[in-house]
Amino acid sequence: MSTHDNATDDTTDFGFERVKKEEKAGRVREVFDSVASQYDLMNDLMSGGLHRLWKRFTIELSAVRPGQTVLDIAGGTGDLAAKFSNLVGKDGNVILSDINAAMLSVGRDRLIDKGALNNISVVQADAQFLPFEDNSIDCITIAFGLRNVTDKAKALASMNRVLKPGGRLLVLEFSKPVSPLLSKIYDAYSFSALPAMGKIIANDADSYRYLAESIRKHPDQETLLEMVEDAGFVDCRYHNMTGGIVAVHRGIKG
Amino acid sequence: MEHDPAVIAGVCLVAEKAIMRAIDLSTGTRNQLKGLHPLTIGVNCSSPSVDLFVTVETDGGVAIASYREEATTVSLAGSWKDFLAVAAADDPASALINGNVQISGDTAPLLQLQAVLADLDIDWEAPLVETLGPVAGHQLAAVIRAFTRTSHSTHQRLKRQLSEFILEEGRLSPPQAEQNAFFSAVDDLVLRVDRADSRLKRIKKRLAGLSE
Repeated sequence: MSTHDNATDDTTDFGFERVKKEEKAGRVREVFDSVASQYDLMNDLMSGGLHRLWKRFTIELSAVRPGQTVLDIAGGTGDLAAKFSNLVGKDGNVILSDINAAMLSVGRDRLIDKGALNNISVVQADAQFLPFEDNSIDCITIAFGLRNVTDKAKALASMNRVLKPGGRLLVLEFSKPVSPLLSKIYDAYSFSALPAMGKIIANDADSYRYLAESIRKHPDQETLLEMVEDAGFVDCRYHNMTGGIVAVHRGIKG
Repeated sequence: MEHDPAVIAGVCLVAEKAIMRAIDLSTGTRNQLKGLHPLTIGVNCSSPSVDLFVTVETDGGVAIASYREEATTVSLAGSWKDFLAVAAADDPASALINGNVQISGDTAPLLQLQAVLADLDIDWEAPLVETLGPVAGHQLAAVIRAFTRTSHSTHQRLKRQLSEFILEEGRLSPPQAEQNAFFSAVDDLVLRVDRADSRLKRIKKRLAGLSE
């Protein structure tokens, strides 16, 4: 499994392909432009609704309190931001951020429909270059977004910069199943059923094939833990969910 | 053994949805619960090892989580059997205080919550009307209400009659000492019959000797 991006190499993973670093953001944008309108429906179908439970536990781990500022990176269609909006209350602030305008547009519309925009700002931003002041955010979450970032180490460092001391980072991401049997079943599902579902529901098998490939190229639990620690976070730990198919990593800014 | 957080989150979600549905269908319960905010109950189940946190929200809603860092108002610790015994008891408040569940913290809001839950009066008519329409929904709700009332009164009557039956039967059956005296008298009679039988055999034998 590929782990850290090589700093001396000017290429990076795009699924199983190697592409130039400056090309990856554009290629990822194409994928998410294509899936944005059906993203939530596909998430429900692909995970059997489990993504709601993974996100629920992530929100519990955030321990967000009223009045705090939360940044949801790669927040896409805004499901986490809507939940955080209730938790921080009218005195708090939630920033829904994504590099992809199409995803943000879907997210903003959905939040308007829920009447949840009072304390939510929507910002189009690259996770590697967060346009926020140093030490200004209480909690950062990035759910199923880090694997699409070109330079993960740079993004984690940027998150560390904007977090307040004592603030926490939560990275929810696909990971490596702990059981070899589950791993085999999961592989078969990812590379056969997933693109087929993408073809039927969103008429886009390639984008969903990329999603499966990008999951395989993403760092495993221990490697990502090391990366979070290297970015300057302390008291780092992770929780496996659904047999390690997904893991949530937590780090505190020291 | 560490449980999968996604499984626990699923259990919390289902329980939370069910409780919220019950609260919304019971007139006035949400307002009563608002008064209990910010009550947080920590439930530490030792077997199986699960921690749950039940919080009453500002709007009277109830949230259940498996992870919480803030302090709880009251903590309950025990095995699932202990919690089940409390839940199944006729008087859960008394069972909680006197049972095996260990309680720490302020118990007053906990008892207030128990009183609110005991007053829960769920009206099933609204969801039935939503699903079946006003006429069929109302009719079915009326049937369910009548059935519930009958079942409740039958249950109460059976409980009362059962206790009366046991009391009456208790009066009719002889006390233990009387039974013991009766059994020893029977034993004594058996011995005396045996002795009389032996004596009779001896006399018969003697009479047979004289006649020869």
